[in-house]
Amino acid sequence: MSTEDLQRLVEVAQLVTAARDAMSDEIVTRMAGAMSEGITLLDRLTRNEGLMHLLKVLDRQETQNLLIAMSDAVHSASQEVSAAPPAIGGLGCMMRVVRDPGVLEGIRLMSIIGKHMSHSLREQHRQGG
Amino acid sequence: MRILVVGGGTGGTIVANNLARRLSAEIRARKVRITMLSASDKHMYQPGLLYVAFGQMTPDALYRDQASLLEESINFHVDPAAKFDLDNKRVTTQSGKVHEYDILVMATGSRIVPETIPGLAEGAESFYTEAGAVKLFKKLRVIQEGTVAVVVGVPHKCPIAPIEFVFSLHDYFKARGIRDKIKIKYHYPIGRIHTIKEVATWAKPEFDRMGIEYETLFNVGEVDVENQVVKSEEGTETKYDLLVAIPPHRGMEVLEQNNLGEGGWIPTDRFKLTMIGHDDVYVLGDTTNLPVSKTGSAAHFEAEVVAENIASIIKIGVPVREYDGKVYCFIETGHDSATYAMFNYQTPPDLKSPSKPMHWFKMAYNQMYWTSVRGLL
Repeated sequence: MSTEDLQRLVEVAQLVTAARDAMSDEIVTRMAGAMSEGITLLDRLTRNEGLMHLLKVLDRQETQNLLIAMSDAVHSASQEVSAAPPAIGGLGCMMRVVRDPGVLEGIRLMSIIGKHMSHSLREQHRQGG
Repeated sequence: MRILVVGGGTGGTIVANNLARRLSAEIRARKVRITMLSASDKHMYQPGLLYVAFGQMTPDALYRDQASLLEESINFHVDPAAKFDLDNKRVTTQSGKVHEYDILVMATGSRIVPETIPGLAEGAESFYTEAGAVKLFKKLRVIQEGTVAVVVGVPHKCPIAPIEFVFSLHDYFKARGIRDKIKIKYHYPIGRIHTIKEVATWAKPEFDRMGIEYETLFNVGEVDVENQVVKSEEGTETKYDLLVAIPPHRGMEVLEQNNLGEGGWIPTDRFKLTMIGHDDVYVLGDTTNLPVSKTGSAAHFEAEVVAENIASIIKIGVPVREYDGKVYCFIETGHDSATYAMFNYQTPPDLKSPSKPMHWFKMAYNQMYWTSVRGLL
C-alpha cells in the first residue's frame, strides 16, 4: 500500500469521525422520524391501486397528449377569461354560450368521459371491488 | 373467514396489519374480515417510558392514534373484550356486543400489580406508566445525595429494563455532577444480577466499573414507607432515600376472570403459538406463558409467525412456520452507548461491546417503531 493510499484511508477515517462527532441524538431521532414517515407514505402510495392505475394510464402517449391539451387549455382559458368582459347572465347569454361549437365539443368530451367512467364503475362493482 | 384480534398493542397491531396486507385480495372479495378490539384509541410506545424517566423524551412523543396505525380494511373498535366463549367461538365486549370468529388472536398484554407487595405502590417510584415516569423524573432531578435503591418484582415486562435503568441512573447523576454523593444499590431476585446468564456475566464488571452496589437473592417482601426501608423475603433490608421498583406483572384481569390461564398468562404451544387445546386461538406477546422475554420484540417476531400461518391456512389450508423463540433486545448502557442481546430457544445471547452507533440505532428505532407496527419493518 502506497503512502498516497494510506493518506486517502486517513481522510476517509477523518470524514467518518467528523460525521460521527457532528451527529447527536436529536439529529438521529429527526432523521429516523422523517425516514419512518417517508417509508409509510411510500408504502401507502405504492399500494394505492387507483393511483398505480392512474400512473399506468398517464404513461400512455394518448394520455400525455390529453394532459398537454388540458394544460394548454387551462393556460388559454385563463388568458381568455382575463380579457373577456364580465358575463351579462340570463337566458340569452346562456343560449349564446351553448351555440359556441367549442363549448359543445367540451360538453361532448365530458359526456364521453362520464360514459366510460360509469361503465368502469359498474364493472368494478360487478367484480366485487 | 372472520378473524378477531383482541388487543391493540404491539403484537395485536402487527398481526392485524400483516394479515390485512397478506389477505388484501380476500378482504376485497369479502371472503375475509379482520376485526380488532382494543381498550384504547391510543397506542403507546412503551419502551419510551425509560427516556421519559430521565427527561430525554416527553410523554406526548410516545403516542399515536391507534386507527392511524391500522390498515383501512381492519374493523377497529375501542371496546375491550369482557367474556370469552371459546367453545362457541364468541367474544362479548364490555359494551355487550358479541363478536363471532373463526380465528381468534389473543394479544391482550400484561399489567403491573405493585399492590401485591405491601407498601410497594405507596413507597416506590416506577417508570412503567406515563404518570409514574414523569413523577420519577421530577424526583430524580431534585435529589442531591443519598441512596437510590432499585428493586425488581417478578415476573416483569422487559427483562433488560432493570439494568438499563441502573446504567442510565449512573450517567444521569454523573452528568449532574453528583454521582459521588449518590449510592446506587441494585437488588435482584435470583442468585445473579440478571435472569439471562450471559447478560449477568457481561453486566457484572460494568456494575463494578461504575461503582454500582448489588445484592442478589433479594425478593421484595415489604416496603416500610415510614422508615424508608425495603425488606426482602430472604430477611435482608436496605434503607433508601429514593426507591425505584420494576413492578411485578400479571396477565390481564379479564383472562383470569374467564379462567383462560393462571395469572392471566395463557398456556401456549411454544412453536405453533396456539392456545393449548384450541387450534383456532393464537396467543402472542406478553399474554403467553412461554419462557421467552415479555418484550415488544418477542411480540413482533411472534406476530409475524402468527400472521403468516393464519394467511397460509386461509390460502393453502396448512400453517407454514414455527416460532423459534427469537428475541432482540436493545440494551442502553447509559446515555450515549448501547449494545443488544439476541437469542432464541436454542441460542443464548452473545453480547457485543457497547458503542455509540448502537445507541443511535436504538434512537432511530424509537422512531422506526411506528413503521414497524404498521407491518412495514
